[in-house]
Amino acid sequence: MIKLTIDGKEIELEEQVTVLEAARRAGIKIPTLCYFEGLKPFGGCRLCLVEVEKLPRLQTACTLMAADGMVVKTETEKIKAARRAILEFLLINHPLDCPVCDKAGECELQDLVARYGPDAGRFTEGKRHHPESFDDPIIVRNMERCVLCTRCIRMCEDLQGAYAITVTGRGSHSFVEPFSGGRYNCEYCGNCLTVCPVGAIMSRLHRHSYRPWFVEKEVETVCGYCGVGCSMVMQMREGKIIRTIPRMGLGLNNGLLCVRGRFGYDYLQSEQRLRSPLIRRDGELHEVSWSEALDYVASRLKEIKEKHGPQAIGAIGSGRCTNEDNYMLQRLMRFTIGTNNIDSSARLYYAPALLMLEGILGQGITANLIPGIKNADGVVVLGGDPTQINPILGLQIRAASRDGAKVITLGRAKGLERFAHIMLPGAPSNVDVVLGMIIQELREGVELKGENKWLQEQLSKVKVTEPIEGIPLDETIGALREMKNAVLVLGPEVLQSDNSDRTLLLVAALVYLLDARVFLLSERPNYQGAMDMGVLPDMLPGGRPLEMFKQKAEEALGREVPADRGLNLFEMIDAASEGRLKALYVMGENPVFNMPDKDRITEALKKLEFLVVQDIFLTETALMADVVLPARAWSERTGTYTNLERRIQFIRSGTDSADGMEDWRILEEISARLGEEKRFAILDEVWEEVVHVSPLHSGLGYDDIKDGKAIWPYKGEPLRGVEETYEIQGLDNIRPIKSGQVLQLDRPLYHSGSISRHSKALRSIEDEAFIVISTKKAEGLGLADGDIVKLITDRGSLQARIKIDSTVDEDNIYISNTFTEANFGSLSGYEAGRLGSLSLDKNPVKLEKV
Amino acid sequence: MDEIKEILKKYPDRRGALLPTLYVAQKAYGWLSQEALEEAAKALNLPPATVKGVATFYAMYKHKPMGRHLIQLCTNVACMIMGAERLVDLLKERYGLEPGGTTEDGRFSLVIMECIGACDRAPAMLVDTDFHADLNENNIFEILEKYE
Repeated sequence: MIKLTIDGKEIELEEQVTVLEAARRAGIKIPTLCYFEGLKPFGGCRLCLVEVEKLPRLQTACTLMAADGMVVKTETEKIKAARRAILEFLLINHPLDCPVCDKAGECELQDLVARYGPDAGRFTEGKRHHPESFDDPIIVRNMERCVLCTRCIRMCEDLQGAYAITVTGRGSHSFVEPFSGGRYNCEYCGNCLTVCPVGAIMSRLHRHSYRPWFVEKEVETVCGYCGVGCSMVMQMREGKIIRTIPRMGLGLNNGLLCVRGRFGYDYLQSEQRLRSPLIRRDGELHEVSWSEALDYVASRLKEIKEKHGPQAIGAIGSGRCTNEDNYMLQRLMRFTIGTNNIDSSARLYYAPALLMLEGILGQGITANLIPGIKNADGVVVLGGDPTQINPILGLQIRAASRDGAKVITLGRAKGLERFAHIMLPGAPSNVDVVLGMIIQELREGVELKGENKWLQEQLSKVKVTEPIEGIPLDETIGALREMKNAVLVLGPEVLQSDNSDRTLLLVAALVYLLDARVFLLSERPNYQGAMDMGVLPDMLPGGRPLEMFKQKAEEALGREVPADRGLNLFEMIDAASEGRLKALYVMGENPVFNMPDKDRITEALKKLEFLVVQDIFLTETALMADVVLPARAWSERTGTYTNLERRIQFIRSGTDSADGMEDWRILEEISARLGEEKRFAILDEVWEEVVHVSPLHSGLGYDDIKDGKAIWPYKGEPLRGVEETYEIQGLDNIRPIKSGQVLQLDRPLYHSGSISRHSKALRSIEDEAFIVISTKKAEGLGLADGDIVKLITDRGSLQARIKIDSTVDEDNIYISNTFTEANFGSLSGYEAGRLGSLSLDKNPVKLEKV
Repeated sequence: MDEIKEILKKYPDRRGALLPTLYVAQKAYGWLSQEALEEAAKALNLPPATVKGVATFYAMYKHKPMGRHLIQLCTNVACMIMGAERLVDLLKERYGLEPGGTTEDGRFSLVIMECIGACDRAPAMLVDTDFHADLNENNIFEILEKYE
């Protein structure tokens, strides 16, 4: 117990903290400039000077540890004089351009000078001059205003881990700059903007159009880009977002955001947003009224159901829509129309991976807390770069590495290059061989607890008949054996082949051997929620298998549940092309663009009698639709998302939308027109039914969710244990696959599917698709970064610039699926692999120098 | 690269080896261009921004292209009294060499130094790494003519 006195107040401390922190706890605010919660103390600005009895000089409270018996004074004449002098020094060079500075009103220097003075400077020489830099599309740099607190640099290095900026020069010619001196070319997280106390680093997106007092409304919400679900504050004026910012202490991201969350909001105000419902007449889409569109959808669905039966109708839900939307979609399909033909693009990877992991290891196995990753002493990453797919989760791995955790990567992980201890080659093509080699060694000498007999049996069968070269096996096994508190992060890239069921079993075995917490990367904010709401052909709301729980669901709802398992995403496409599926209802998804094999999907959808698309843009799929219904975007509606750690979070509306309707409400209107009683006037009523039907969400109200209490297991209910077994082929004969060059899907940091292409800000950072290749491949072809190459598959070819990634395995060539001009989908084919996810095995590709 | 490997052996971490590595890069590239800094960063596996921050802090690195030979002439008090400023003028007359500048033929660059610790033999200068003192209007050119 430490007892000290600050400004006459006696303070008792349980643990060692700084004087600054002790004072804050006692409600005494000591002024600071270079201090920022969460960053390492720097003691550079000297504003937090305090008087401590028996110490000869003034001390910086941010670096001085509180000690027993200390008597501290924080506001004396001596201290005030010192602060005044420091501020006078800072103002020697800091321009007094507050009227044109965007920071005015929330500038820490301005506030400090207002409080401590001086009212006039004594320095008569001129101020230093350094031109404002507009070299960067997003961040404007005014180094005349910089006070060298280094908060941005400490943020960039110690929390973000990007090491993009530094102090260049020295003395009064010190400036904070990126390496290039111009463009940042960094991860563009913008976290430096959060910490800059003055107007030195500012966003260009709201330049000269933002002042703190312009903000009419602030709303706390959750980001709609990826499966992490970062909390953020939308600041609005006249119904539009001026900016989105993170807030310390808010949400799992605690003050950090990534590029998409911070700068990617301008798609909401895109000119291309859908303004009106559209109906196809004589081959063209025409604007119609809502009532006409809704009546038409209902009458066509009714007609098709009567003519071809309910099994001729299917629906695709969305990882971007809320739980409520997805619940209503499956409700419409299951109870009103009477089919289980419902799925989402989670089928491409997330859903089958999660279901099999849960089948082997138990329901909720991936429900682990993201902020807990940093406490791990070992992290195994495989199947994609978390710092690109789920950036804020990636930062946790960097934090763990900084705290001494051993990080082992298998496969592409450029963002962890500086943080990984062992980067294993071989993935994705030969991931099974590497995992098999690891498991063969690791299982020796490990006493298995017999918790999972089936998995242990499988584990003992693992045999690599032909190992691959270049794996530092001893070192890897040594590192794995030392892990007492391990984390395993699994991404999509290793689960996109025909053998992915075997890969997943090997991953599950590794999780079991390491007793690791497992995280499944998710590209969309609500894949997990869509699944939990029953947007699956064989699962009812609450993650309940159809065959086992049909009766229970019928009892709960008083409705009949169709007995047969429905068609999944791939099967619906096949059924459409074979003419078995006549109508498809697509909500918030763009299969024509987002699925590989554009031609195959387009051909299949063309054969449909009726296609409805509910979206915010006229997507490639919407262009083919018979009816297009404009939905509300992420910031224009309320509802809940379930993130990849199964945290249910509330998203709130803030901006205006005159034209769109919430997805769930559109579905309610259509259900009513199909003879359902109108039940849901407000969103809360939808959730009430979810809670009633789904045992997973039982007793979970919106109040709990808003309070941040909706963390797995909700209300502490234990759920299904392990009950599944799988037929896994070739466990005892794992050999390398000679696949040749394979085309893979790139998941870039700056973009997210086809939504981000409507964000001017994100496009200003990256406005083209890159062909990402390995260093070896680039050397072999004599290529340098930025060279243009031709990419050829049996479906066609395209030209794009290359990006060399030293962590890419030699025979893999990546391209993203964002841009219309050059994308993955138009060049790639697919199969449904044995896991049920996307298999890209048969995608041979050639590269030619142009 | 071999040279850098040797340097790395002497330091407990990569960051420690940065200053000597920058000298190696400077020697190879003539000055610390962006390319030279990037190479140094790559050789040590340090972030390029960090390397730049360190490099720009120190005066002994060249941040723009320099002549083949670098003249570092002292004009502090002792040297000034002993006529160093006259020598600066003469260098300008003879070679067209301004302080901070480089001759047109790329032979010499001139940097005005703070005290180089040779006040007893002022005025004094360094040419590359060679020390020359007791300079006057005549012998300075005798000395410089030896540097091609």
